[in-house]
Amino acid sequence: MIPILFGLRLGRWGLIGFSAAGFLSILAQTAGFYQIAGNTPAERAAFGASMSALAAQFIALFPAPIRPDTVGGFVEFRGIHPLGILLCVWALVSATGFARGDEERGIVEATLATPTSRIALVASRAAAFTIAIAVASAAACAGYVVGVAFGHETGELRGVLEDGVLLVALGLACYALSLFIAQLVPGRAATAAAGGALLGLFLVNSLSRELQSLVAWRWLSPFRYYDLSQPLPPGGNFDVRAFFVLVAIAVVGTAAAALAFTRRDLGSSLIPFPARHRPVSVAPSPNPLWRIPVVRGVYERRLGLLAWSAGMAAVAFAFVLLTRTIVNVLLSVPALLPYLSIFVHQQIYPAVLGYTWLNVAQLLFAALAITHVARWSAEDVDGRLEMTLSQPFSRSAVVVERMAILTVIALVVAAISGAVLFVQSHAQGIDLNAGRLVATSLMLVPFALVFAGAGALLAALAPRAAVGLLGAFAFASYLDVELATIFKLPTWLQDLSAFKLFGTPLLTGVDGRSLTLMVALALAGLGSSILLMQRRNVGA
Amino acid sequence: MPAPAIRTSQLTKDYGAGRGLFDLDLQVTDQEVFGFLGPNGAGKTTTIRLLMGMLWPTAGSAYIFGLDCTRDAVDVKRRVGYIPGDVPQFGSLTGSEVVAYLGGMRGGVDKGRVRSLCERFELDLGRRFREYSSGNKQKLAIVLAFMQRPDLLILDEPTSGLDPLNRQEFYTLLREHRDEGATVFLSSHILSEVEHICDRVGIIREGRLVHIAQLDEVTAANLEEIFLSYFSESKPKPKLLPS
Repeated sequence: MIPILFGLRLGRWGLIGFSAAGFLSILAQTAGFYQIAGNTPAERAAFGASMSALAAQFIALFPAPIRPDTVGGFVEFRGIHPLGILLCVWALVSATGFARGDEERGIVEATLATPTSRIALVASRAAAFTIAIAVASAAACAGYVVGVAFGHETGELRGVLEDGVLLVALGLACYALSLFIAQLVPGRAATAAAGGALLGLFLVNSLSRELQSLVAWRWLSPFRYYDLSQPLPPGGNFDVRAFFVLVAIAVVGTAAAALAFTRRDLGSSLIPFPARHRPVSVAPSPNPLWRIPVVRGVYERRLGLLAWSAGMAAVAFAFVLLTRTIVNVLLSVPALLPYLSIFVHQQIYPAVLGYTWLNVAQLLFAALAITHVARWSAEDVDGRLEMTLSQPFSRSAVVVERMAILTVIALVVAAISGAVLFVQSHAQGIDLNAGRLVATSLMLVPFALVFAGAGALLAALAPRAAVGLLGAFAFASYLDVELATIFKLPTWLQDLSAFKLFGTPLLTGVDGRSLTLMVALALAGLGSSILLMQRRNVGA
Repeated sequence: MPAPAIRTSQLTKDYGAGRGLFDLDLQVTDQEVFGFLGPNGAGKTTTIRLLMGMLWPTAGSAYIFGLDCTRDAVDVKRRVGYIPGDVPQFGSLTGSEVVAYLGGMRGGVDKGRVRSLCERFELDLGRRFREYSSGNKQKLAIVLAFMQRPDLLILDEPTSGLDPLNRQEFYTLLREHRDEGATVFLSSHILSEVEHICDRVGIIREGRLVHIAQLDEVTAANLEEIFLSYFSESKPKPKLLPS
């Protein structure tokens, strides 16, 4: 029992954060349904049709909704599916954090120095995560029940519970797969390898909805078995066999991870990677890049830059490939034709690309900024900031250089993904306005800097909590734009959301006011973090 | 008359609940090797971080070569080499990259000097930082502190993790630096180490400097006696010696 409690203690912020996120996001979506869906059957039917059209644009991410004109169908599509992805990210981070992060920090070694077997250690951590994700899922279910009560309805309790256990099973399957992969590869590559594998499995399933060639492979993906159930809407279903397949993946994956852990050395991977021979050296690196401010930081992050650029380029490529299919789906709905002709003025391809690709790109650029803030926090905790400040280098210079490094990296990633988008759309016969595409890609840079500015401020205020707080800020910003119309939020509050400020530049061009506000927010974050850094204690 | 290498006046860092550093008045003259002794949590690292401008004092002031440690932090660090109590983590960077990176922040690296230090301590800069043992990480920290031939060395338990041979090599290096004109301020738990290399020693207890002595006034045996007397309730406290 004590190892399980210790595991829960180590992951308490994840438990609290994801439970809060689950509860609030599902509550917001549920309560929001009653604000926007109308009250009469006709209004709800019209709302359901518009949601179906919206869902068609996101077919590469989520399965088509069932009965989106009902609160269950709407929340399943807008709340539960995105939450499922979020919980999978949590599972990934928790599993690799245990398998490799705790190992690097010596926690695993200290635990194994007690009379605890490796298998017992893996089992206790898996049990701790099971409890944590069960709590988070229960919180999400509670959000639905409370939201439905706001609408003076009573939810289908069985459907809610089925959704809860589905989320737990999906999270545990992802946890087990991540834990197993983390045993196979070297420590540094564990998160990237497990993340890449989960992303690949997710894409195999989601792209198989549009690409027939992938249908034969989707049985490999746990997300396929999650997709087979939609228990919340009326007429929905809970596929018991698919649920047990997810449970089996979790059990077998965890057992395989435990077995692999017993067969490898601490600090090593199960698959041996030969150490690269490096000649003995007593000289500093002759590389001149280490001496140039900003360039040295970009150079140090060169592998990350490469990975982000390649990943974003691949995602851009995939979204252009899907655009024609999505447009065909949209055009096949007669009820949508008047809407399309009025609102997108024959620019249906830029409109669809704007909704699909740019929605994902915004989330990824926010994630890019968060990863940099995580690094700033880590530098504070692991003593690197103290070492930097022991050089003749001012605190202001540290903050400015950090932001400049992120600016350069965001610029490179935006430029490469924008170029791929342009070339691929040209090859697909999709006519994009080159000027707007350049402007749109460039807009992603200040967008990322808004989060970086907030992150710099948080890192100066509370480095250990900065990532969690920034994640919450990003989440709130995302909900801000999603729910602004639902809850009629004041304009000034909406304007604090970078998602709202980003707008639809591919369709309507860059809005000068929004761009100015984004730059102002980033500069405000930068300026206040410089001021705070001057007076704060480092290493205390 | 040149300013002393280190001067603090009523320097205080109050963390609350009686923790921190209180009313430290201290002066370290040029070319002196000053040892700072005290048990865990006594305030040694807090003092060092205040001198390095990492912490903002609650009250009082600290000067290095006449420069304010917080206001003139950048200028101070042009003349200071520093070994922190916990070696910072540089992850996948190689030792040579760490040296180039931090040396680049000082405008360049004296390659001959780095080579000489690495050869003395048998440190391979070609390996990744994460592959270093704790002793090798400490050796890298020594190279980083000494590579610029600083006027003042502020060292927080600099020999932690070093084997006896490398510890002796470090003492030799320190004496060479002192002979070349450098001042040294170091914290340590090891009385024999302080006795070996320090000209003067200060003892700190519960955030307050309780004793300062010239090393030539005390033998190793009575240094231990003095030290233990402050941290053992049963023994009588000796009178404070003038600084």
